Amino acid sequence: MSKPKLSVELAEPDRIYRGGDTINGVVRVEVDKAIACNGLNVQAGWRTHGRGNVASKTGDSTTLFQGQWQAGESLEYPFELIALDWPPTYHGHYLNVDHYVDARAKIAWSFDPKASTAFQVSASHVPANVGAAATVPLVAKAFVGVIFAVIIAVFFTVGMGTVVGLGWIGVPFLLLPLSGMVFWFLKTWLPRFLLGKVECELAEQAVVPGGSLTGELVLKPRRSVAINGITMKLEGREKVVSGSGSNQTTHNHVFFENEETLREAGPLMPSSQLCLPIAMKVPDHAPLSLKLTSNELLWNLEVRIDIPRWPDWVKKIAFQVVPPGESVMSDPSEPVMPKTDTGAEPGITFEESVNHLWQVRGDADQRDRLVDAIAGLTFSVTAIIDRRLLYGGDHDANVYPKGHSVWAKFPNPELPLVLFVPHNMGEKFEQLGRQHWTGQATVVGWDRDHGRLQLAVEVQNGA
Amino acid sequence: MINLNSNFVCDVECSSDEKAWQPWSRLNLFRNPFGELSIVERAELAVVDEDLLNQITLDRWTAIEFIADCGRGKSTRLHWLRSRLPNSSYVYLPEEGPVPAIPWGNPLMIDEAQRMNRRAKRSVFATGIPLILGTHQSLSRSLRRCGYEVRSIRIGRTNTASFIQKVLNRRIEASRCGDGPIPVVSSAEANRLFARFGSNVRSVEGYLYEQFQQRIADQMGQ
Repeated sequence: MSKPKLSVELAEPDRIYRGGDTINGVVRVEVDKAIACNGLNVQAGWRTHGRGNVASKTGDSTTLFQGQWQAGESLEYPFELIALDWPPTYHGHYLNVDHYVDARAKIAWSFDPKASTAFQVSASHVPANVGAAATVPLVAKAFVGVIFAVIIAVFFTVGMGTVVGLGWIGVPFLLLPLSGMVFWFLKTWLPRFLLGKVECELAEQAVVPGGSLTGELVLKPRRSVAINGITMKLEGREKVVSGSGSNQTTHNHVFFENEETLREAGPLMPSSQLCLPIAMKVPDHAPLSLKLTSNELLWNLEVRIDIPRWPDWVKKIAFQVVPPGESVMSDPSEPVMPKTDTGAEPGITFEESVNHLWQVRGDADQRDRLVDAIAGLTFSVTAIIDRRLLYGGDHDANVYPKGHSVWAKFPNPELPLVLFVPHNMGEKFEQLGRQHWTGQATVVGWDRDHGRLQLAVEVQNGA
Repeated sequence: MINLNSNFVCDVECSSDEKAWQPWSRLNLFRNPFGELSIVERAELAVVDEDLLNQITLDRWTAIEFIADCGRGKSTRLHWLRSRLPNSSYVYLPEEGPVPAIPWGNPLMIDEAQRMNRRAKRSVFATGIPLILGTHQSLSRSLRRCGYEVRSIRIGRTNTASFIQKVLNRRIEASRCGDGPIPVVSSAEANRLFARFGSNVRSVEGYLYEQFQQRIADQMGQ
């Protein structure tokens, strides 16, 4: 079956756009056979390509035409779209980010013809959630440390018990905690035995391309120690994840590495505090830090005190490379959250809640906050029934004993829902097929596995 | 070792309307053809015998299982079928973590079905809905015990050198930037890839990803 041929042409194909700029262009359509078009849509957005799973976001879109195309026609449809502001265009080894204008003609009973053209975007600011993702809070690090210590202690106790009870057969049970302790001893305790407490911090967690990364290394050796030197290494790395589950693979590619000496080889005197200023230039064309689903561009500084015939002291500090002229600020594209401190939000409707959720559904933190705010509220809900679940999953959250779980969606926007239906209403929902359902339901949470708002349908005794 | 610089792909001239800021336009492509694809595009580009659709029965108590090792095309077939069966539903069972919710579908497709636990099997197999499974191990005994009529299809044996050539060239074509020549995998090179990687298409694609990266880096003089 022949199809119309689409192409997208931009008015300024080599222009570097910024977020909010207008992209002008035309969609050309060459029709070889009369055909009905149910909608010629054009939209701006970005996609990753490369070794990692595809991350994408669509932005401004519009329908340029709907109707009949005649054979032999050669048509042009001008468009104006607004460019998204983040992430910037990037071409690397495993990770690439490109912004596109995508055109698609909806044709009944046929694969839709489509065309795309890429354009360049440079960023003028960093969304707030990107900056926040850079560092792991101290509390979280301490928590992980405590958990690790508890696991080691449990294994050690069990291992010792097994050795006492079973003799040599129990020795393998001791190997895991012992190797953990040996690792900690080599990595942390031995360098500290010579160097005392070493403090190394950066003055700023964000730096612009071409800027200087500054900080300080402070140490007060416990005893006289000769070192091979103190070095600092700046590293830029792409980290992408492909596949999922057992097929999941993480690919790393170091695209930039620069090592400088902070102090030459020589002795460090005991009890005298040594303060070494850290200053390292980030390259002028350093790509900006990115944190997209399955695709990350990371920067870090590694400081190493090289001790001969002894484990080195090493610290890796992550930092952000942000656009010039601006530090981390809020993403203007992020929607304003409804105020949650007013408790029940008496005036809010289900449709308003869905609209807010729809806007923040890609941002786990904002979404969870919003779901927490509306959890427990009962709304009048209209939903299009999709399908019932055969198995609710190992973490089935159904609130009703022997109840049914039904997948549904809100009519517009099509936010996915899961309805927990009481056992006595199962028959009613079964008969609904794929129709609209309207009734009272209470928000109970968010299904992270399937990206659905969970609602408990109110029990109807007469059902 | 396959010679990277041999003419395993035909050389192409830079396209006349090449955008200097787009590295792949030097090969008349808009991306590395062997990167990850979205699920929708994976289904669009799947090289599957159209006859497969005719073999699918939507009768109750019937099940088809595709059995193969990793990288042979089980998931690709499921995505391809899913795009052609509008009432179907698809669920992927992860290696770690709990078994997710399994929705009704006609048919219901379960990827990595060997990971279903006993409870999930009991809930799903008791319904009698038509099933299409992608699995490493046959589940035919459990299915037959529940009353299913099972058809087991072992895939991977049909992944010959000419099949691999077709898969690779379709991937390259889908990354085309504009009119004009694009790289092409020759049958000689497909034979060499088959001799090295066997029927594992995923490994071939991973290898060619690096070859194409190297090639574009050479062209850019980096």
